[in-house]
Amino acid sequence: MDGVEETLKRIESNASVAGTIVLNSEGVPIRSSFDSGTSSRYGREVSEITALARSAVRDLDPQNDLQLLCIRFNKREIIIGAENNCLLIVFKNLPE
Amino acid sequence: MFSDETLESVRVESVWRKSQQGAQQSKSCQTPAVSSGHAGVQTGSRVSSSTQTEPQQQDHQLENLNGPDPPGLVDFLRRVEELLIKELLKNSRSHAFDGFQANWTEPSQHVSHLHGLQHAGTQEQGLHVSAVSWSCTGSVIACAYGRTDDGDWSNQKSCVCLWNLDRRSLRPKQADLVLDVPAAVTSVCCHPERPALIAGGLYNGEVLVWDTSRTQDPVLAQTGMSADSHREPVYQVAWVPLQKKGEFGVLSSSSGGGVLLWTVDPDQGRMVLSSAYAFVRQQVPHSSSLKIRGSSTVGVTALALSPWDSDTFLVGSEGGLLLLCSFSSQIPAAVAPEGRSVTPRAPTVFSFRPSSGPVHSMHCSPFHRNLFVSAGTAGLVHVHSLLQADPLLSVRVSDSYVFQVQWSPSRPLVFAAATGQGEVQIFDLNRRSLRPAATIQDGAPGQTATCLAFNGPNPRLLAVGRSDGTVGIWQLSSDLTEPGPNERLQLEQIANQVAE
Repeated sequence: MDGVEETLKRIESNASVAGTIVLNSEGVPIRSSFDSGTSSRYGREVSEITALARSAVRDLDPQNDLQLLCIRFNKREIIIGAENNCLLIVFKNLPE
Repeated sequence: MFSDETLESVRVESVWRKSQQGAQQSKSCQTPAVSSGHAGVQTGSRVSSSTQTEPQQQDHQLENLNGPDPPGLVDFLRRVEELLIKELLKNSRSHAFDGFQANWTEPSQHVSHLHGLQHAGTQEQGLHVSAVSWSCTGSVIACAYGRTDDGDWSNQKSCVCLWNLDRRSLRPKQADLVLDVPAAVTSVCCHPERPALIAGGLYNGEVLVWDTSRTQDPVLAQTGMSADSHREPVYQVAWVPLQKKGEFGVLSSSSGGGVLLWTVDPDQGRMVLSSAYAFVRQQVPHSSSLKIRGSSTVGVTALALSPWDSDTFLVGSEGGLLLLCSFSSQIPAAVAPEGRSVTPRAPTVFSFRPSSGPVHSMHCSPFHRNLFVSAGTAGLVHVHSLLQADPLLSVRVSDSYVFQVQWSPSRPLVFAAATGQGEVQIFDLNRRSLRPAATIQDGAPGQTATCLAFNGPNPRLLAVGRSDGTVGIWQLSSDLTEPGPNERLQLEQIANQVAE
């Protein structure tokens, strides 16, 4: 039986992962490997864009739902796992 | 004989008192009593109030971050974990976005004129734009004013003008910052890492470094007129990385036959001579075709640094020599020391086939370690390999002089040349016919294009300085800024070909 910390550690043990943030349904970070300022900034922005993406998916097919959202920046990538408004953001460094 | 005598007293009445007494009068007067009263007023009650909010958000969040597991979180994470790990692995194996650079700017088909910059004072004095340089952020253009048409010593004042193109209200007729200089400025170069620092060379041989973040006196350091400094006009200055990481020195070249390396000492406001290099004809390794004539010193007109090898620099001379040089050379130069604190060294390693006139400009390719271009009075641009004496390619750019040539920072096969007829010709070696891919011309013909500069961070911008004191900012078309798929390969082929 493994808990929250073990699951997050397992994800973070992946070589390319730089950190994770877990957001609750209000977009407030509840677990984070970054400082609180960074976490809440990402929390705000990511929950907004995820809500947009989810509404787009549901508009296209009301039976369907958003599972995963990848956003690629110039230097990194974030992968967002979504379910019941809970969000897990995984930060991934890109190889040079 | 003697006897007592009693004399009667004589009484004399005062006449003065009598006469005064007659004039005396006494009078009196009185004012009625002044009545006065005191009254006071005072308020007795005072109210002050204040209010303050406590930063509660932070605590709230920390509480959240370390709080107990909300119900369902474990299930959520477990469900999402498998999917995420799968996606991470898939992502790291994927090569879909390799080499992909998002480009959010609109593609443009045309080369367009964005701004025409000029500074009022300089036009009245008839000053030319002698050099332009973009700051490392790519938003500020530094324009040096001087003269390119006469070789006279003069006391004419000059300046370096800066415009920030990203400012909301760009004033093309009024520079954002004007650095006044007591002599004509011949060259200018922005620091590769610190946007506020600008190095400049003057016609009187001085080398300066300005710090534009200082409001009082922008001159951070200068060589002054010391025994170490140049005695002839400085033709070019460049920032050179020093051995200590993150530190830069200023390399300056002069027609007096020297290349000097300076370090900046901001505390004393001085430039300290760190190395001196001198060129003497006898010490230049030459091919058999080169005849030795004229004076023995070699006036250095052009300077180029290799972005690949920090020990290498290229030098072009008034006599047309193209020399490959090494900073670490230890051979002492065969010149009189002239009182310099550092013994000049002879850095020349290799000599390329000399061109027929003064070399005005050289530039190393940012995409291939062996390639460089050179240009001069003959109107030709030569593409050279560092490994061969003869040019790989010669392109006729103009019937007039070529004042500056520079490779594009984004397209490996493109270079631009500023010509004496006022045009800037942009060549694309991808096209087999060696005709310009684009020609930039504005203003009156006959106004020489004296200098140009590609913008490193924003390769779509090209600045062109002219002899009428104007600086044109051009936006290049997409085909001149976006590299094709196998352009580096083609450049490699050009570099590997053997000169005819």
